[in-house]
Amino acid sequence: MVVTRKIFFWMIAATGILLTTSSRVSAQGPTGSISGTVVDSASRQPLNGVTIVVGDRRARTLGNGSYTVTGVPAGERTVRALLIGYRSTTRTVTLGAGASARVDIEMPAQAVALSEMVVTGYGQQRAASLTGSVQTISEEEFNTGRIVSPEQLIAGKVAGVQIVDTGEPGGGISIRIRGGSSVTSSNEPLFVVDGVPLTIGGGLSSGRNPLNFLNPSDIENITVLKDASATAIFGSRGANGVVLIETKRGGTGSHLTYTGSVSASDVVKTADMLTVDEFRQAVNAKAAGQAAKLGTASTDWADLIQQSAIGQEHNVAFAGGTGSNRYRVSLGYLDHKGIIEASKTRRLSGAINYDQNLFNDRFSFRANIKGSRSDDQFTPGGVVGSAYAFAPTQPVLDATGANAGYYQWASNLAPTNPVALLNLNTDKGRTYRSVGDVEGKYVLPFVDDLTTTLRLGYDIVSAEREIFSPSTIRPGALARVERRNPSFSSPLLDLFFNYARPVGGERSNIDVTAGYSWQETRTDHSSYVATGLSFDVLGPNGVPAADKTETFLTIEESKLASFFGRMNYSLNDQYFVTLAVRRDGSSRFGEDHQWGTFPSAAVAWRIPDNSITNAIPSLSELKLRASWGKNGNQEFGNYKAYSDYVIGDAATQAQFGNTFVTTIRPNAADRGIKWEETSSTNVGFDYGFINNRINGSLDYYYKKTNDLIFNVPVAAGTNLSNFVTTNIGSLKNQGVEFTMNAQVLQRGANGINWNTSWNASTNTNKLIRVNSVGSGDEKIQVGGISGGVGTTIQVLQPGQAINSFFVYRHKRENGLPIFKDMNGDNTINENDLYEDVNGDGNVNQDDRVAFHSPAPKWILGHTSYATWRNLDLGFTLRANIGNYVYNNVASSQGFYNALNGDAPSNLHSSVLETNFATPQYFSDYYVEDASFLRLDNLTLGYTLDGTRLPKGTRIFGTAQNLFTITKYSGVDPLAGVNGIDNNIYPRARTFTAGVTVGF
Amino acid sequence: MTYKIIRAVSVAALLAAGLGCTDVTTAPKSTVTGANVFNDPSSYRAFLAKIYSGLAVTGQQGPAGKADIQGIDEGFSQYVRLLWQMQELPTDEAVIAWNDTGVQELNTQIWGTSNQFLQAMYYRIFFQVAMVNEFLRESSDAKLAERGATDALKAQVATYRAEARFLRALSYWHGVDLFGAIPLVTEDDPIGSTPPQQASRTDVFNYIESELKAIQGQLPSAATVEYGRASSTAATMLLAKLYMNSAVYTGTARYGDARTAVEAVIGSAGVSLDPNYRRLFLADNHLSREIIFAVPQDGKKTQSYGGTTFIIHASVGGNMNAAAFGIDGGWWGLRVKPELPVLFTGAADQRATFFTNGQTLAINSLTNFQEGYAAPKFQNVTSAGVPGSDAGFMDTDYPMFRLGDAYLMYAEAFLRNGGGTQAQALAYVNALRTRAYGNTAGNITGAQLTLAFLKDERSRELYWEGHRRTDLIRFGQFTDQGLWAWKGGLKAGKVTESFRNLYPLPASELLANPNLTQNTGY
Repeated sequence: MVVTRKIFFWMIAATGILLTTSSRVSAQGPTGSISGTVVDSASRQPLNGVTIVVGDRRARTLGNGSYTVTGVPAGERTVRALLIGYRSTTRTVTLGAGASARVDIEMPAQAVALSEMVVTGYGQQRAASLTGSVQTISEEEFNTGRIVSPEQLIAGKVAGVQIVDTGEPGGGISIRIRGGSSVTSSNEPLFVVDGVPLTIGGGLSSGRNPLNFLNPSDIENITVLKDASATAIFGSRGANGVVLIETKRGGTGSHLTYTGSVSASDVVKTADMLTVDEFRQAVNAKAAGQAAKLGTASTDWADLIQQSAIGQEHNVAFAGGTGSNRYRVSLGYLDHKGIIEASKTRRLSGAINYDQNLFNDRFSFRANIKGSRSDDQFTPGGVVGSAYAFAPTQPVLDATGANAGYYQWASNLAPTNPVALLNLNTDKGRTYRSVGDVEGKYVLPFVDDLTTTLRLGYDIVSAEREIFSPSTIRPGALARVERRNPSFSSPLLDLFFNYARPVGGERSNIDVTAGYSWQETRTDHSSYVATGLSFDVLGPNGVPAADKTETFLTIEESKLASFFGRMNYSLNDQYFVTLAVRRDGSSRFGEDHQWGTFPSAAVAWRIPDNSITNAIPSLSELKLRASWGKNGNQEFGNYKAYSDYVIGDAATQAQFGNTFVTTIRPNAADRGIKWEETSSTNVGFDYGFINNRINGSLDYYYKKTNDLIFNVPVAAGTNLSNFVTTNIGSLKNQGVEFTMNAQVLQRGANGINWNTSWNASTNTNKLIRVNSVGSGDEKIQVGGISGGVGTTIQVLQPGQAINSFFVYRHKRENGLPIFKDMNGDNTINENDLYEDVNGDGNVNQDDRVAFHSPAPKWILGHTSYATWRNLDLGFTLRANIGNYVYNNVASSQGFYNALNGDAPSNLHSSVLETNFATPQYFSDYYVEDASFLRLDNLTLGYTLDGTRLPKGTRIFGTAQNLFTITKYSGVDPLAGVNGIDNNIYPRARTFTAGVTVGF
Repeated sequence: MTYKIIRAVSVAALLAAGLGCTDVTTAPKSTVTGANVFNDPSSYRAFLAKIYSGLAVTGQQGPAGKADIQGIDEGFSQYVRLLWQMQELPTDEAVIAWNDTGVQELNTQIWGTSNQFLQAMYYRIFFQVAMVNEFLRESSDAKLAERGATDALKAQVATYRAEARFLRALSYWHGVDLFGAIPLVTEDDPIGSTPPQQASRTDVFNYIESELKAIQGQLPSAATVEYGRASSTAATMLLAKLYMNSAVYTGTARYGDARTAVEAVIGSAGVSLDPNYRRLFLADNHLSREIIFAVPQDGKKTQSYGGTTFIIHASVGGNMNAAAFGIDGGWWGLRVKPELPVLFTGAADQRATFFTNGQTLAINSLTNFQEGYAAPKFQNVTSAGVPGSDAGFMDTDYPMFRLGDAYLMYAEAFLRNGGGTQAQALAYVNALRTRAYGNTAGNITGAQLTLAFLKDERSRELYWEGHRRTDLIRFGQFTDQGLWAWKGGLKAGKVTESFRNLYPLPASELLANPNLTQNTGY
């Protein structure tokens, strides 16, 4: 790739020119040198990047706070230390010719929020100098309680970040940063743990959430990069935002910490099905012919599959260090049961971090290794749905002993006894995952202020999933065992240079980073499925003779090569410019588009102190920001550019005479497939009042995604299938985010201290185009539901929000959907019930329209944290407004005809209101407003300071999901990111008690 | 200083260039590509096999997985299932109980342009066409020479190409019959994004005719052809079906040509009437010499949720004992409309295969399986009563063309002034009726041989075999004439708009191909 080499050399050359222009020297007369260390006056932590000015000589402090200024003319000199977020500090020293003097400086922070370092990807920056939209949540602000995966730590904490979690222990979590930028590719942000970008998805885990390998108690902070100027450094993977996770590191002195907790969860709500008596009445009244099939039992199936779920968690960490090295070793164990029986997650995790400084601190070495074993036990498929649908008048057990002793319907169309499913089927996964890296950072000896970093990282996964179902599960069933063994490995190499030094005027700084990154992945998916096992007794542990055994092996590889550069320039701590660019080459892109360039630019103006305080006396900080950038999304499948021939299996052969011929089929492919490209503009400001006791930001963004990858219908006959995956659509997201942190009360150690933070964000999302030639009336149906086969309830339609519900407008009387013969033709059908939207006289599929969307209009979050003497109290409230959910439990069971057939099944109680005889899956009646307000988290703690106990021992209790206020009638208004409530895992209410002890 | 900088930059550049691999091309490992697949000469046969199996299965993994076409549940996307539903559900022969999106619109002739089943059939047809076109491109003389094919392989491939062209003609016939004016895409149109032009119905007709005439001589005779593959008789039968409906397709009647083609079919060596009518629809129907072209199915080797797996499962429910039909359970779907059973006036007519226990003749609710007689005409047991190899997937082959149909076509062509003799027509009709009754008691006289009789007789002989809609249109009885229960959405039935003689082009296709004009009325 000549072009890319050229670009790289250009970047290096640009760096060189900057170095040359900024390093002019004018040493005359006798000189000496001044060196020392700069620390934060309060925390005593060394300060990095402090500009030291002595006359016209300048230097910058390194990561350990040390600096050296050479060529200083002898005499009495003033040393000035300047750092954004800190009050500038001066010291005077008398320097002899040829001598060296030591000047250590302590700098007081102006406001904590401004002085913190924020990781930005391939580097870090002081909060006050940020130009992009970036928010860091550190450990003190994390959610507590029953938390299995890292995303849960920041739920409700960051404006513009929607976190959709489930009630399942360690269940998968979806994150949307500023709305989804894609439709068919991933919408999940890029996760980077200690500098290693993680692969998630792709079925590489056998557990629930691929991030569960990371123990949340090892996390120091989580930074969310939201706008394009912040994410551009991650190029083709940055379009959905980036979540940077930094793990805890050792400090000075050694200490041991133990945190342990026990928790208990209960189901908050189950689906509103008919009671036994109501069911009996319904059968007798509406399906009298089925009365013979009514049993005499009275079974609460939903209750039988639920449990009070106990959990425990233990974390031990040993951290320490001396001046030149630091370490932290931690071990964690977690065991949480789920509120549906048979679901469970267990994790054993370990992490080792080590930092070493060598050669006079010119070389620093750091190693991170994290590893875990996650055991996930899943509720066997269909348990929740069967519990809702199974007739409550049937008994759990069968007196005759058939079907392993469980009552079952004879028909294979009937639901399976949920208790039998729970007790006979098994579904377990075990995942080993380790992520780590070693990083060497070297301050090059021959050029001042030039640092080079080499990082070698890895991410490896080995997993196993085993699923078993015996032949006794229901009449006529075949015993089946399935085992999947995915393994994954991904090495990473990053090499980058950082040059940072003061230039020109007093407070003018330049900070340039340029580098190269290589990451490749290899996934081996091997699996087998054996059906019709001759014996059940071995369970999932062996394959006795089977009727049919299928084995699969797929190997997938991908490569990503990147060059990146970023320049931060600041002038007088007032004007800031950031330019960043990344050039990515990816194996996923087609031949003609193998490399893409992703630039960004941002500016900020921090209005000087005096001018603002003159205008508004209480205003202490005001910074205006604007940014623009382009990002990519390459999270789609591998090999999309290759037209391969798919070989048929043994069950899809063609009969030629008496032989059966295995077939091959050429696949449709777009050879030119490439990344989806999102251009974003962000304008906003950061503010602070009353010496930043109140601070926050307001941002407006506009994101437009082009070259959206869609699997679209192509003109018949022009390709090898009716759909081709290609870059064809576009969509936009725009929104506003508001954040405010306020220290409401600050009454010292014995008084009440109360900090609050508020965030609010709104996002609107609209699909602009899904086809290049179409008229804009395309409707791609998505969002599968249960009820019928292949039934979908959502649509991708230009001009509408993504995944808008696609329904008939039900005619209503007294607010209720009608179900009667309106046109007098003696039948009740679509023509009676629904609006004839297109006015053609017939109500058919062409009359369905887009109606509301699952994405919330507003996401609100509030966190309060208060202390009084030794007590601390914190809570987090979360609200979504304007999100809609399709109640699929109601629609698939809410009609009287479900009482017919081989097995009358229980009905959703909505039928008592609607009186539907036949299913009305597409009625807008089932699209419900699922706005909610939830007390996500409430924690009360007490810190013991008695002399007999180790200092800092804290006991705490947490309640999660204490209440939810919603009009939604189903189990949980947060029913998945796509808003389809189809027998979802119910939401739990959890109480946790724990203790933290430090030694 | 400057020197130091140059040195630093060079070291860095060298380091990066050394480490800096920039070649990211990664070819698939676990699949074959067009570049290497034909290195194996058996690939031509495997590719041809796919075109055949495109009629039988839905993807490359049975019973579902790696689907051929998208935009619909894979199980729904099976060729025969879609064709069958479109040819039977809107007619006086069949009704389905389910609530899958859009399926009730087929029962009652109220479909719209975005009906998923119509859309999927359209795409199935063009999937077959695209596969054939690609096969013809990849098996051209030039490609074979380039790959150094042996003469033996070249000779084999020549037959393969004729078979592929038959299959393309078959699908184009379904296309022109169901959708009317459709694009005509051949192997000369390379894969690309340029949407093709719409061909007139006559253009498509002419193309099918010329293709069939061109390949007739290259296909093996029915006496020697391997079961499941196309014979010259199959091509002639398709030609006969085309001519028979020429008046509908082009406005010009070709009953004389139809009669000639039918005579050639009837006279073909290797084709004869099966003495046992019922066996034609049982698990051992592959042994019947009556079937001219079948879509073979095997319970283990050709699994999908379409074809006879759909027809047999869906036609069982209520009080029927699933095991008696060789299956693991009924799907409670298909019954007959009330008009069909009353056509069978002779109690001895074995072609009436209705199951009435627990079923009512009248249909008050389309979605109640037990209203309307069930019709287990197709079954997964052999004529000896042995169940098929798998209770979930059927061994029963789908008879696309059979000789009994040709007999009735002769009679109809004669009555429509296509030539031939009344004696011969009567002989063919009575041959079928004698088989049905087991004796000559049901035979008719020359006076009884009328078009009205044939319209009903075709239903008695061929119901649920996927011919009814085409037949009713030819008899002018499908839309603005003819009345049966639930036609037009009314229990009593009502006539519908005549534009519904054609299905609409799918809404999605009109958006993807701006060259197309929608069929009138939609």
